[in-house]
Amino acid sequence: MNPWLAGVLAMLPAFAIPLGAACRGHIGGRFAAVQFATAVATWILIMMTFAFDQPALIDLALTLALLASPGTLVIALFLERWL
Amino acid sequence: MRSAAVDVLLALAVLCAWLGAAGLIRLPSAMDRLHCVAFVVAASGAAITLAAFIADGVSDRALKILAITVIGLLAGAANAHVTGRALLQRSER
Repeated sequence: MNPWLAGVLAMLPAFAIPLGAACRGHIGGRFAAVQFATAVATWILIMMTFAFDQPALIDLALTLALLASPGTLVIALFLERWL
Repeated sequence: MRSAAVDVLLALAVLCAWLGAAGLIRLPSAMDRLHCVAFVVAASGAAITLAAFIADGVSDRALKILAITVIGLLAGAANAHVTGRALLQRSER
């Protein structure tokens, strides 16, 4: 098995745990779990570009990294003021 | 030799992600959990970026991965600060 594909598969539990944590508990902990899941999803997408030898997939990871930050800021604003 | 280095770096990245996930479960407060996010972004990101440069050389893909890691580090610091501030403001309400 390709080591990058093995890395993708090994990362999946580390992706599933924050997804589960984002579904329960206090809203602050859920927000931290979403940020964690976003970070792990970015690494998974990066490893998938090597695992499947598709260089174009890296743009998905770059897009996720670029969009995650403003999304987090907006959610933090909602958390601070209204939620 | 290069393949072994990539294997070790990927294993390190996965180990850091697992460690961060364990911390996310075990740590009690949201403030503590934000440290896990920063740890995974920094540690796994560095390992994966290095592995990509070893596997690919200096290519467009490797440079984009470097950009993703730098964006993650810079934006992660800002996001952690904003999140912590939001949580503090919320707790004072």
